[in-house]
Amino acid sequence: MLNTPAPYILLGLVLYFLTYRFYARWIDKKIWETDPNRPTPSRLYFDGVEYFPVSKYVLFGYQFKSVAALGPIVGPLTGVLFFGWVPALLWVIFGNMFIGWAQDYSAMMMSVRNEGRSMGPITYKLLGDRARKILLMYLIFYLIIITAVFEWVIIDVLNRVPGTFTAVLFVLFGGIVFGQLIFRMRMDVLLATLVALLIVLVGYFTVALIPATQWPTTNFLDSPEFFTQYGFNPKLTYPGTLTLMFWLLVLSILYYIAATTPMPKFLLPTVYVGYLPSIIALVLILLAALVTPITGLTIQQQAIKNLYIDPMANPQGGPIWPILFVTIACGAISGWHSLVSSGLTSKQLEYETDALPVGGGAMLTEGSVALSSIAAIMVLSQPPAGAAAYVQGASLLTTKMLQVPEIYMNILYGIFVVVMGLITSMLFVRVFRLIMAELFEDSPLGNKYISPIILLIVAGFLAFVGSWTNLWIFFGGTNQLLAGLALLLVAIFLASVKKPAWYTLIPGGFMAITTLAALAWETYVYLLYALQNKPIGVQAAAAKLYGGAVVQISNFLSAAFGALLFVLGAVMAYYLFTGFAKYRQKQ
Amino acid sequence: MGILDRIREVVEGLTVHGQSTAILKVKAQIDNLFMIITVGDMLGVPILPPYYSLRLLPYVFPNIQNWKRYMLRERDFTDLVT
Repeated sequence: MLNTPAPYILLGLVLYFLTYRFYARWIDKKIWETDPNRPTPSRLYFDGVEYFPVSKYVLFGYQFKSVAALGPIVGPLTGVLFFGWVPALLWVIFGNMFIGWAQDYSAMMMSVRNEGRSMGPITYKLLGDRARKILLMYLIFYLIIITAVFEWVIIDVLNRVPGTFTAVLFVLFGGIVFGQLIFRMRMDVLLATLVALLIVLVGYFTVALIPATQWPTTNFLDSPEFFTQYGFNPKLTYPGTLTLMFWLLVLSILYYIAATTPMPKFLLPTVYVGYLPSIIALVLILLAALVTPITGLTIQQQAIKNLYIDPMANPQGGPIWPILFVTIACGAISGWHSLVSSGLTSKQLEYETDALPVGGGAMLTEGSVALSSIAAIMVLSQPPAGAAAYVQGASLLTTKMLQVPEIYMNILYGIFVVVMGLITSMLFVRVFRLIMAELFEDSPLGNKYISPIILLIVAGFLAFVGSWTNLWIFFGGTNQLLAGLALLLVAIFLASVKKPAWYTLIPGGFMAITTLAALAWETYVYLLYALQNKPIGVQAAAAKLYGGAVVQISNFLSAAFGALLFVLGAVMAYYLFTGFAKYRQKQ
Repeated sequence: MGILDRIREVVEGLTVHGQSTAILKVKAQIDNLFMIITVGDMLGVPILPPYYSLRLLPYVFPNIQNWKRYMLRERDFTDLVT
């Protein structure tokens, strides 16, 4: 029993439940003193467009959809591969128990108590205009990094799980058809959903049953001789290859359409149709992880691996502190969630007491997704690098449980990873476009057709030539730093209203210091390799194809981004700590 | 509320809710255009109310407070995230 993932996943779920039941409720009652009779912004500022009360169950589903993406899938598996499953499991469990849910919930409550305002205006109110501008600049570079890394992860699955692309095409087609049926033909939602689901199922079974549709194959545009000549594995995805360029172009077209068309026409119907099979995939893998004592799958991964990785020996890692804490982002804690919590959800909260199940509950549920990802990698003896490892592990777990041919689960989890990645990354490009339109109103940079191209070129270049694990750690660093800053902002707000702030101040301080250290480390690794004109790991393939100079440029660019993000983050942290001290003194 | 109703609402939140909000925003943009033309002077937009605006006033009156609140609300780039 103890050599299967089940008891550890169950332990995580039990601890999450106890956290919600006791610790979270105590914070809700004693510190925030939520009152179901106190009017929320959804009632006070009702406008029928953004501010209107919504049931907590609907908001829970919406919050979960908005926060859960590739983070809880790819982060935990990377953490297990770097440091072993014990450290990864401990961070996912205790990180979420004391920091993750607290950030989501507190950002939401802070917004509710500030007329439903989002992070920007609250930063302005508590810290002034300069801090708000720094936050905006930070977000722009954050969006570039996160788009690059999501592109790489999606492409890795599209490339290494043949047939996924064909199946995802059916999902996208189903989304477009659903949108047209609803808006043009005014069909009933349930009927239109059934039509869209039918299209998805046709795609799914076509790919699963007809091998000829499991196309394109892995590295289909690159010659096998290239791989054998330089000793590369033809079953992996490498920077600089023609196949990678092909997929980047395909993704760029999808992102561009999603960013420039009205949301109800393409983006949102696709999200709707794509999420329906994803819910099934999520439930199945969690169940499969819990029944491993019955299916007989045992833990194959090391409990504890390297605690320190020398960057010259292996740049795709680092010391366990701070790298573990940024490798596993969403699932333990994620800064993106604070933007979502204070963005729309807080404006639609019906009662103050709904904030805990919606904000805290959704984050703890996302933690369970991260636990299932750890289970998926635990049962693999020789996991492939990258997100394809999740597909392989999840397929193994669910195939054993359901006793179906593995191809069915391979395709399902391939669709799942790509759809979860696409849903959120299409939104990043759109948000980038909207922010650029705000910043550069009268300039071509703010033009809705030009600004997405800027992002796609820069992020595309980083993804094309970059080392994905280092990009992932970069993303984790920027994302987690945003989380630390959000927690510190909440601490300032609590201090301004004379409430205890220890439960956000301590985690916020820890996250700020840890993530700044991680950004500094990663910048150092990029700079080290750029100065020595050496490719980082898989970048060797791009160096062979285009010469070392291209890789060097990419690494210098990444180092520059890292340095900039470090400076912006450090300045924000300074403002936040001094702001807290100022409000504390006033008390 | 039964367990099935709760599950249905969670699935609604996972799938449809974001779409509903986006559609409301698109509808609001169209409505705002009409409202600005007819009663824009209430927001300080220097449009002299034509005769027909005054005739339409009883019909738009119930929505005026909500509309003013929506139009004059402070907006920020972090509102664009969702």
